[in-house]
Amino acid sequence: MPETTYNIAFAGNPNCGKTTIFNILTGAKQRVGNWPGVTVEKKSGHSTYSNNRFDVIDLPGTYSLSAFSAEETVVRQYLESDEPDVVVNIIDASNLERNLFFTTQLIELGKPLVIALNMMDMAEEKGLQIDADTLATLLGAPVVPVVGRTGEGVDLLKEKILRVSTDISLKARSIDISYPRDIEQEIDKISELFRDNDLTDKHSRWTSIKLLEADKQTRDEVRYHQNGTDILNQVKISTERIEGLFKDTGRAVISHARYGFIQGALRECVVENLAESADQSRQIDRVLTNRWLGLPIFGLFMWLMFKITYDVGSIPMDWIDAGLVMLMDFISSLLPNSMFASLLVDGVLGGVGAIAVFLPNIFILFFIIAVLEDSGYMARVAFIMDRIMHNIGLHGKAFIPMIMGFGCNVPAIMGTRILESRRDRILTVLINPFMSCSARLPVYVLVAGAFFPENAATVIFSMYILGILAAIGSGKLFSRTILKGMSKPFVLELPPYQKPTLRSLVLHTWERGYLFIQKMGTVILVGSVIIWVLGYFPTEVELDRDYVDEKSTLIRHFDEELTDLESKFKISVDKDRLAYHSEMIEYESSSSYLELHEQYKLLQDEISTEKNKQLYNLRQQEIGDITEQKWIGRVGKIFEPIVRPLGFSWRESVALITGFVAKEIVVSTYGVLFGVGEDVDEGSQGVISGLRSSGMTPLVALSFLVFTLLYTPCLATVAAIKRETGTWAYTIFSIAYSLGLAYTLAYAVNYFGRMFNWLS
Amino acid sequence: MFNFKRPRHKLHVSDENDLRLSDLKPGEKGCIVEIGGSENFRLRLIEMGITRGSEIRVDKFAPLRDPIELIVKGYHLSLRAMDAQKIAVKRIA
Repeated sequence: MPETTYNIAFAGNPNCGKTTIFNILTGAKQRVGNWPGVTVEKKSGHSTYSNNRFDVIDLPGTYSLSAFSAEETVVRQYLESDEPDVVVNIIDASNLERNLFFTTQLIELGKPLVIALNMMDMAEEKGLQIDADTLATLLGAPVVPVVGRTGEGVDLLKEKILRVSTDISLKARSIDISYPRDIEQEIDKISELFRDNDLTDKHSRWTSIKLLEADKQTRDEVRYHQNGTDILNQVKISTERIEGLFKDTGRAVISHARYGFIQGALRECVVENLAESADQSRQIDRVLTNRWLGLPIFGLFMWLMFKITYDVGSIPMDWIDAGLVMLMDFISSLLPNSMFASLLVDGVLGGVGAIAVFLPNIFILFFIIAVLEDSGYMARVAFIMDRIMHNIGLHGKAFIPMIMGFGCNVPAIMGTRILESRRDRILTVLINPFMSCSARLPVYVLVAGAFFPENAATVIFSMYILGILAAIGSGKLFSRTILKGMSKPFVLELPPYQKPTLRSLVLHTWERGYLFIQKMGTVILVGSVIIWVLGYFPTEVELDRDYVDEKSTLIRHFDEELTDLESKFKISVDKDRLAYHSEMIEYESSSSYLELHEQYKLLQDEISTEKNKQLYNLRQQEIGDITEQKWIGRVGKIFEPIVRPLGFSWRESVALITGFVAKEIVVSTYGVLFGVGEDVDEGSQGVISGLRSSGMTPLVALSFLVFTLLYTPCLATVAAIKRETGTWAYTIFSIAYSLGLAYTLAYAVNYFGRMFNWLS
Repeated sequence: MFNFKRPRHKLHVSDENDLRLSDLKPGEKGCIVEIGGSENFRLRLIEMGITRGSEIRVDKFAPLRDPIELIVKGYHLSLRAMDAQKIAVKRIA
């Protein structure tokens, strides 16, 4: 028997357990993408049932089809299109009345509908007895009770889906939502005018209702009908009549009427026996959102989240690091000294590897966030933090990505997906890079340690504070200018707490983590190769100093010292031997000889150490000199005039450019430039003395720190911004804005510092 | 910081009974009389079940006193005080 494919759309309110049922139905066979043109996640998967294939799309959770948000627009466009064969409306049985509001709209839309009555167990616990068969009759669609947590009823759901998609009589059975008589009269008047437009009755009713609701999209469509003007005229008359009768707008009247219909239906099929003590979530919230305990508990959870992310993550991080080093050594040994080996080792592995080590952190963080989201605590975070975030023009939930930014801006920016409104997402994405990520810390430690050894901690701390202030200030600025007026009212559902299922936690974590892996394979790879090319070419450079000659001079000098020392030792020994008289012990075993010999060895070691140190320094100076001649150094020189007003030299210019790949690279770049080597860490004395002797003043150091904190986020962050905002416009704006802000503030530090003679 | 803008939809309530949702204390119940504010805001609330005549209960305030946690139609919902101020209610004992 040939396989027939049906397109199934899953629709329902947020928190109705839609995704859980979708996961059960499709298993791991799902794909996550974006709806074209918008940054709304599109989840699809497939399932088979008695030789039929269901292609299932999990639509974003929405409360209605009014097209207020990007999600609602996507849902409505998809459901109005010809694509879905059957719509499965998932309903939270424990929150039936509000969930059915969306159902009334789906019924009117007229697509073949199956209703999955989810969370039946919770409804029973709450004291609700629902007669599913009566509800099905009242709504004109099959109703299947299911329990998403256990998978109970899912097989029956599949059967009903198949039956609805094949049985035409079932499709035609659907009912109309009845409105008060005055509204029905007006609906009839309008839909009558559609007769000539060969629309089905169902569709003309839906269109008429949408017109009475002053739906802009429908109006625009109707305008191009044959008798569009007549229809719109009738709509105007009808709307005026309804508004006059009900003293309210058409949309409000119809929405009220929908609830009226629902209340009537519920009276017939639900027996309530509510027990307040059964509201377990309320008991939990007595503690978790308590007036006094709410904030400290949230603080504790945040602290734990960081602790687990970084402490647990550091274990596999070391493994990845070790693995990378082994791989690099292996490739180097396979292709010694070739350009290709350098590209692979220094470019690809060095660049991508620097980011890959963060993978464990990112996966752990996403897992914890999935726990917070699936359990229902995330909504409480929004509730607790809204008062604070509202000041910046943001929703309470935006606090989570902001805090995550202290760790790494990349997962933080990807975490903005928890925000529902696109405007909030963009605003949070734009200010997130100012939250000082952990990659910037090594730079602070290095520079502050070199120039403010007494007050390093204070300087570093003030960088964090400056970052927060920049985020708050920019947030306020953006919400009053470029992102003005797009804000949505804060209407937040606090869903019941739930025990998350491992399956959905793993799926959530993987979906988000996979995006990060994808990015490493593309943007970061390309960026790393570009930086490598700049640092590798030209391969032949002319140096001012003859390093070969200097090296042999150095070796000769130390060899002479060593010979000198040896002859001095011999003379002393000869002298000593003459003064030696004991017959019992041989001179070579005497204590005075051993003492002399020990002294000699010590001095010899000292000279060898000094020799190695100077040779190493010379080698690193050579590397620094070579780098200056490479394209990267030349680029640094080109940009030097631009950063000169900030007090920066070409070295800072190079460091900042390479820092664009990842901010911690600033430190290793300094290592190269000051000839200390790439294995430098922030405690390196070589770089510290190099920085001090380079003519950098504490004031310039401070302005450099300010610049490092604020300037253009790293490549990975830029990629994340592009991904989450969906446009190059905001991405370029973010780069330009942060560069501008960094430049202005660093300039101000330098300018006022010089004016008042601070830290010179 | 505070929104002094007049609601676009004027509230049809007489002054002596002008009780707003934001005036209720935790634990108190009210009956929705009218919703003010912009059309989109009103519609969003109606869609969420804050309909004229329905019973609404103030459950608690957030730790920083804003937003407010409400119970309506058997579920928990949160609104900011400045938005709750646009909702006229009658107190239910």
